[in-house]
Amino acid sequence: MDLFVQGVRRLSTLCGIAAVGLLLAAVLVVCQLVFVRYVLGTSAIWQHEFVTYALVAATFLGSPYVLLTRGHVNVDLLPHYLGPRGRLGLALLASGLSLAFCGIIGWTSISWWHEAYAKGWRGETVWAPRLWIPWAAMPLGIGLLCLQYLADIAALLTGRALPFGGGEAAR
Amino acid sequence: MSPLALGIIVAVVTVVVLLSGAPVAFSLGFVAIVFLVIFDGLGALSVVPDIFYGGLDNFALLSIPMFILMGGAIASSRAGADLYEALDRWLTRVPGGLMASNIGACAIFAALSGSSPATCAAIGKMGIPEMRQRGYPAGLATGSIAAGGTLGILIPPSITMIVYGIATETSIGRLFIAGLLPGLMLTGLFIAWGLINARIQGHSFALGDRHFSWRERLEVLPKIGPFLLVIGGILWVLYGGVATPSEAAGVGAVFCILLVMVIYKLRKPRELWGVLRDSMRESVMILMIIAAAALFSYMMSSLFITQSLAEWIGGLDVNPWLLMLSINVFLLIAGFFLPPVAVILMTAPTLVPIVEAAGFDPIWFAVVLTINMEIGLITPPVGLNLYVINGIAPDVRLQTILWGALPFMFCMVLGIILLCLFPGIALWLPEVLMGPAL
Repeated sequence: MDLFVQGVRRLSTLCGIAAVGLLLAAVLVVCQLVFVRYVLGTSAIWQHEFVTYALVAATFLGSPYVLLTRGHVNVDLLPHYLGPRGRLGLALLASGLSLAFCGIIGWTSISWWHEAYAKGWRGETVWAPRLWIPWAAMPLGIGLLCLQYLADIAALLTGRALPFGGGEAAR
Repeated sequence: MSPLALGIIVAVVTVVVLLSGAPVAFSLGFVAIVFLVIFDGLGALSVVPDIFYGGLDNFALLSIPMFILMGGAIASSRAGADLYEALDRWLTRVPGGLMASNIGACAIFAALSGSSPATCAAIGKMGIPEMRQRGYPAGLATGSIAAGGTLGILIPPSITMIVYGIATETSIGRLFIAGLLPGLMLTGLFIAWGLINARIQGHSFALGDRHFSWRERLEVLPKIGPFLLVIGGILWVLYGGVATPSEAAGVGAVFCILLVMVIYKLRKPRELWGVLRDSMRESVMILMIIAAAALFSYMMSSLFITQSLAEWIGGLDVNPWLLMLSINVFLLIAGFFLPPVAVILMTAPTLVPIVEAAGFDPIWFAVVLTINMEIGLITPPVGLNLYVINGIAPDVRLQTILWGALPFMFCMVLGIILLCLFPGIALWLPEVLMGPAL
């Protein structure tokens, strides 16, 4: 069990690093875009799309890390008024609901991504990148998000983490 | 079932799911998928990935992480302390100058960082002990900083305004400019109340024996000036229509990181990594809510709830001001429990057509909505700023901070009333600088 929980946490941390890298790339490309457009006076070809794809990929890939570090904002009103058992039950319910949503998004996004791959879809711009490359971020990121939820639920059930933060998962 | 009855059920289920403590983003997405499947069948799931991804596939959204990065870089430095120091040195001979320094520093730092909690922490750490030492009551000292911090979501550049602009397809540049005068008005109201309250509680405003020479006053400016120039530059670029908000924010973020590295010597890889990591976390949190809200809006529209609600309210023939009052009370209650970004994404696409049909300006409404959201930041149970202040002034009870912040909440309500009476406070500057709205 420890191996699974630790392994998923490492994966989520790696995803967090990748998301920071993508955001940094977006910052640098925006600066290059501004230079090309306003200093050189030429038109930008690929920058707008690249930056948007990088932003979306950073969001999906960064999401498991944000879950690991309890960064997804929630309404934590009820847990304050519940005892330890109630808090555990509510935390499992909240994680279950979230996992159900992420599972559906992850599952449906695989066929959505595969269609783009199989049919060789390309962006409708001059750059026309193959869409399966940026779109892969969604099944990948959401899939890892599901794994992180499974690890969180396992940690809750085995007493390795406290409900709604605290314990190891909060770090 | 009528779309209106369905709308009520959706609202109730959303509240219940949110109360489970699941993240706001996943709660919204879960509710959207459940209702889509119940009413449109499993076939509806085939469009879900496209809508979820499409919610983020927008170049304008890039301005959110860029402004967060800019604010994160500034908040990680000593810029807040220097700003406070600068205002204190300049206003030290003015009666009540300390209160003005604190709230003024909050307003400027809020504009620089765009973050309410960061503002409370940065200015409060210096300002609260100083105010208490000079005899201001603890409630007033802490309450004023809690309220001052909320200005971050109104004074440009504001993430809340960007999200409203994207959700309602309103010009972000115009929204930024519209927030400026109301932000200054609120700053003035906060300072005025701070001084009146201190006087009521018997504070004498006696000028201390501290005196700063012109040299001492001027030497603090070079540290703060460059950051103010970057913000000024961004506003100039935006209202001039020279560049898009994302472009301006991207270049602004790089400038601010470089300034922090040069002026505050923030060069250790660990420190820089901390800024990047925290900015990524906050951005991802907001962007996931945006993606889920796109799915939620699609469900509301697909089940004709949005359209029916607008039609029903339009047919009620109620007084527009009564309608505006009801909307504000609703938003106020939502703001007590949810962060501003979530409230805007969930409600603005539905409310703005209703508000426009009732004859109100969407830009003006954005300002009213934002001030309304500011109130939620200093009221329980969420009241983020109260907890931040409690963390930096642990010897002051949370109840004292809450009572100290309460009158400032009434200042915000007064601000909303003034905006209703004089819409020009929000609309005049955008019209002068950018011409009439199309």
